[in-house]
Amino acid sequence: MTGSATNGPEETAVDGPGRAPSPNGSAPASANSPGQASFAALREQLHEAATAFADGPRALEGILLGMVDDVDRAVREPLEIFPVCHHSPASALAMARRLREKQPKVVYLELCEDMAPLLGELRNCRLPVAVQAFASDVDGFPAEWAPLSVVAPITEASAEYQAIAYALDTPGVELVLVDRSSDHVFQWDSRHGERTPQDPPAPADGVPEPEAALHGEAVGVEIGDLRPRFAELEEHLLRHGKVRHWSEWWHQYVEVPLGDSDHEAYRQVMFLVGSLFRRLAPGDGDRVRVDEDRERYMWTRIREHLAAGGADPEDCLYVCGAFHAASRVEEFGVAGSGPFTISPRSATTWQHGLIPSSHAAIEAQFGLASGSVSIAATQWAKNLKRTRVQPYRLAGQDGAKKPRATKKAAPAVTAPPPEAAEDRLSGFLRRPPVLDTLDEAELLGWSVDIVRAARRSGYLASTADAIAVFETSILLAGMRDRAKPTPYDFQDAAVTCIEKDSVPGRRDVRRLVEIMMGGDRIGRVGYDALPPLARDVHDRLAPLELKLQQRGVQRALLDLSSRPELGACSDVLWMLRRLLPHGAARPIMGERKLGERSIQESWDLALGTHQRALIELGYEGVSIEQVLEQRLRRDAYGPRATTAVVLAAVEDATLYLGSRRLSDELGARALEVLAAERTADGAPEVLRRVRGLLAYYRTAEPVLPPWVESFVKAGYAHYCTLLPTAFTDEDATVGQVAAMLGFLFSMESLALSLGCDRAQLELAVAQSRPTDPERTALLWAAQVQLGALSRAELRERCGELLANPMVVPAYPRYLSGFVHALVPVPGLADVVVEAVSNAFGRLPDPVLLPWLPSLITTLRAGAADLAPLLVREAGRIFPARLTALDTWVPPWREVVEAGGPDGGRTGAAGGGSRGAALLFAHPGTLDAVAELLGCDGTWAAADDCPAGPVGAVLTARHPDTAIAWESLLTGA
Amino acid sequence: MSDVLRAPAETKYAEELDWLESIDDGPKPFSWRLSPKMVRLFILGSERADGLDREISQKWFGDRSFVERSIVTLASDRGLLLIGDPGTGKSWLAELLSAAISRNSTLVVQGTAGTTEDHIKYAWNVSMVIAKGQSRESMIPSPIMTAMETGAIGRFEELTRSTSDVQDALISILSEKYISVPELQGDGTDAGDNIVFAKPGFSIIATANSRDRGVNDLSSALKRRFNFVRIPVVTNKKSEAEIVRFRTEELLRRHAIDLDVPPTLLDVLLQSFADLRASAAAAGSDDEKLESSLSTAEQIGVLEDAVLHSNFFGERTLTARTLASSLVGSLARRDPEDLAIFNKYLHGVVEPRSKQEGGSWPEFLDGGRDTIATLS
Repeated sequence: MTGSATNGPEETAVDGPGRAPSPNGSAPASANSPGQASFAALREQLHEAATAFADGPRALEGILLGMVDDVDRAVREPLEIFPVCHHSPASALAMARRLREKQPKVVYLELCEDMAPLLGELRNCRLPVAVQAFASDVDGFPAEWAPLSVVAPITEASAEYQAIAYALDTPGVELVLVDRSSDHVFQWDSRHGERTPQDPPAPADGVPEPEAALHGEAVGVEIGDLRPRFAELEEHLLRHGKVRHWSEWWHQYVEVPLGDSDHEAYRQVMFLVGSLFRRLAPGDGDRVRVDEDRERYMWTRIREHLAAGGADPEDCLYVCGAFHAASRVEEFGVAGSGPFTISPRSATTWQHGLIPSSHAAIEAQFGLASGSVSIAATQWAKNLKRTRVQPYRLAGQDGAKKPRATKKAAPAVTAPPPEAAEDRLSGFLRRPPVLDTLDEAELLGWSVDIVRAARRSGYLASTADAIAVFETSILLAGMRDRAKPTPYDFQDAAVTCIEKDSVPGRRDVRRLVEIMMGGDRIGRVGYDALPPLARDVHDRLAPLELKLQQRGVQRALLDLSSRPELGACSDVLWMLRRLLPHGAARPIMGERKLGERSIQESWDLALGTHQRALIELGYEGVSIEQVLEQRLRRDAYGPRATTAVVLAAVEDATLYLGSRRLSDELGARALEVLAAERTADGAPEVLRRVRGLLAYYRTAEPVLPPWVESFVKAGYAHYCTLLPTAFTDEDATVGQVAAMLGFLFSMESLALSLGCDRAQLELAVAQSRPTDPERTALLWAAQVQLGALSRAELRERCGELLANPMVVPAYPRYLSGFVHALVPVPGLADVVVEAVSNAFGRLPDPVLLPWLPSLITTLRAGAADLAPLLVREAGRIFPARLTALDTWVPPWREVVEAGGPDGGRTGAAGGGSRGAALLFAHPGTLDAVAELLGCDGTWAAADDCPAGPVGAVLTARHPDTAIAWESLLTGA
Repeated sequence: MSDVLRAPAETKYAEELDWLESIDDGPKPFSWRLSPKMVRLFILGSERADGLDREISQKWFGDRSFVERSIVTLASDRGLLLIGDPGTGKSWLAELLSAAISRNSTLVVQGTAGTTEDHIKYAWNVSMVIAKGQSRESMIPSPIMTAMETGAIGRFEELTRSTSDVQDALISILSEKYISVPELQGDGTDAGDNIVFAKPGFSIIATANSRDRGVNDLSSALKRRFNFVRIPVVTNKKSEAEIVRFRTEELLRRHAIDLDVPPTLLDVLLQSFADLRASAAAAGSDDEKLESSLSTAEQIGVLEDAVLHSNFFGERTLTARTLASSLVGSLARRDPEDLAIFNKYLHGVVEPRSKQEGGSWPEFLDGGRDTIATLS
């Protein structure tokens, strides 16, 4: 590290990162004086610096010397504190070395204590994964916070993983998590009461990759958050470091110089950085309070553990963020005191699990520069190779090259006694920045690789570009006082030389460099670490013989007719489709509707990609059926449930769960909700769903479920009551009123058979007095259906409307009403076709043309129901060929020309009497029906019927049918 | 007051450049007058930590990596193409770079639809040709050719405004680094007589407007020979405030106007631009956003207009009312679309804010309303 960090905000130094920082230019301090005097030289130097550079030496001196005090204090602590920084390969390397050297018996780790049981499962996963604590039902927190989620991502290149792997795989070593529990994370949330959903910081540039959303909306916790707490300091450091963002600064000025330093130097430098950021933090009360409380919490837990187990502090190691190592709370240290009491957890039940994570997700969640975690991983691999340090790795870790067979512990070296702490800081701070020598071969490799990657992404890049990138990287590094281009310099150079005015493919050069530098790595949670629900899903889908744990989309083909056993898989898949986000399970072929079953299905499955969603589903229950049932109940009993929503839940219960018990229960709930509804808002949806359910039960069940009958009865009465208001209510749309009428007419026979009274409907229609044209037309249609209005009268009314120039402009609106009326009264299609034809024929263009779009939109909206009906009717009425059009006369004209119709009602009556004569002649059928129904009425005399040309005449003219009947009936 | 309305950067900052040159001990590529680090220092200004004896003012505001990438490109053998929205300071950066590197920023070719190959290569002095025949004396070199001959930086403004054949004339200049003059017959004694070779240090800085994309697209051969540096619109409020303040001070000095720009009014201006940009970003179609690109240069234009107006027609103090009327007056270019947007902005955003915050906003609102009323 250079002087940038230490001299930071005071602007005391004249050093850029390229010059050797020597705050006061004095001679090197005596480095090896033991005991109390260990930091005396450094103190003296800093005191001089403060006097020389600041006008008022007190404040500056306070900070500078205070930092040394912090370091001194942490170094002296008998329980060895190991300061780390998140995603720092240098920390991980130092940790691996230290663990091999010291072989501690107890490792205290700054991680939520309730996550401890899960760490063993890490060996079943491919890193990075995140340990998650999840609570969907909150108790003790505001309800709107739910679901609560805390994640702690763990990467391989991190010090915490080294500690975990060491502790779990070395016999006799205890790992103790000491940080506050997930519950306390929210208890101590400073936004208590005014919390808004956490906005993940936007990535610095470009469109976020989908992998960035792997953590969902969880609150992230990390070990060793180390970053300046106020913007000016960070800006200052970046400016002087000639770097663009924090990750780059850290890499350049801490990671690289610390790479090869020994344990003491590492510790002291990290303590110093932690102390610097702590002392130069603004008085952000809440944040400081939470930090200090966490420190109190951790030290209290450590002391509790030490007291209970009797471990010797000398044999322990406490791993925490460098920021916390520089703590000044009373509880600090094994000998610390302070009356800190740990508050009890709330009543919220927490579920724990591992979810897949990715470098991009970590970067997005913690506001790191995009690509920085990947670069850290690359750096870690490089460091390992260079230093030949053997890292710890959990036995059986997924993705491991080979299990480490021998874990022969290096001979334990007793930790140097704290008194012997040497001052390693002075030497370190006075050293010129470590400059990696130019690794020409590596840079050349990068340059060639990026050109190749760019070409694959559609860039017109050539070897000349590789040369230019190589040259520009060196020039840029030179301008930024570096002997060797960092990955970030290289990125800049590649963008300069290859990126032109537009990005040809999906990824720009910046992103390509990130991918090349290690790329995003996406973790995977192994089978054994999955919650029971997820394991159950995988077990049940095993017959598909797909590797569903893998990321990416896989196609499943289910031939249900030849392999009926796959039906169970199909059921699971349909439920997953209902429960998981879009894309996790997507049917390509086959569908599941009421009363239908596919014989073949094909699915696009991406369960590996959506592993987090599946795992989070596991927090809700132990099987997907249970989760689905819970969700359906929640929908149906939610405060915003409408009849349509509940009916949808009934449908889903029938479709996916096949559970008659649940559907009956939900059906009863639908009845309750319907009774409480006072508007026609959901009528179209209710009509659609009830029709579907009725059709299903009629075909699939011997008798209708009782709730359906009750629902039809209640619905009939309910909509009869609402009808008159709906006709005049401005908020109700024509479609909704039409749907109400549709319910009433299509359920009429069933309702009447269940004891409803038709008079109720007739009265309701009679009471309806709509004022606007659409609804008036709807009312007329209803009257025709009820027989209160004949078709001839209806035609006449339409004719009058067209003839009256005062109302012609409103005619299209009547037509709209008629079109909607096709829902309740489909038999009116011919009249509607006629009315529309008349409109086209007779309406003036200024009226007709503006209306056409609204006709089209109405028909499009009801395309499934209305259009086929109208088209079929029109096809029946209009001539099929163009040549026939010249001689064609519309049927309604024919009737008029033939002297007028004799009226629907009279015609029907006449027809009725004609039919009656036939019945008298062949009474057998009716007698049989009457007997079956238990009626014992007798036939009235045939003479009571009016005489005249009746149906019998027709049978006389075409006797074949009657003869056939006779022979059939007599059995001749 | 100088008798030049606007002096080029190398004249204006001559003294600073001389001083920097005198202390510069870094390695200089080719015939550069300053080392790359000093060029950067000249453009981005100095800080206390640089340990210089005098302060160097910041002249271009923006991400330092843009400047670094530009300088490095010029030190390589590729040309530099600065691309960005109008008013993002591309030309200013180009001028500063060439002033710092070769002390001559006036070797400029302005790309237009009427630019011909002669403007890039050379033309002939017809009367001299008649008198003496075609020779080096009767040749009129273009600014680019002059830059080649002197090893300086040549500039090509608005590259994408000129037609493709003219653009392609640059290809050979950028790759072969010479221009051949076939009209001059080499007499055998001097092989290079009919070829003008570029001296070390020659490079080209071109600028292109990203809004002109598609008018005369660069050929891929030419694209290959340029490194593109995209200059974004400044959206960081702090640096934008710095730019506006810097340019306004310069402007007031140039016009010898003694007038204060109150910081509150600067805030009002920055805020209103930020609002309008946000609404443009949210707009669905071109009709819903202002035609103006709302760049920092536009902002300076608005302020300049307001300052000049207050100075010559007003009460010699800048008021929120004048600022509002300049804002509407300069940015409303289409009637009724732009005016409708302003109307919406004033009533939807400024009115609630003036009620809530007070300050200069109520006056700003009144001024804006009046101007809209006058214009519509």
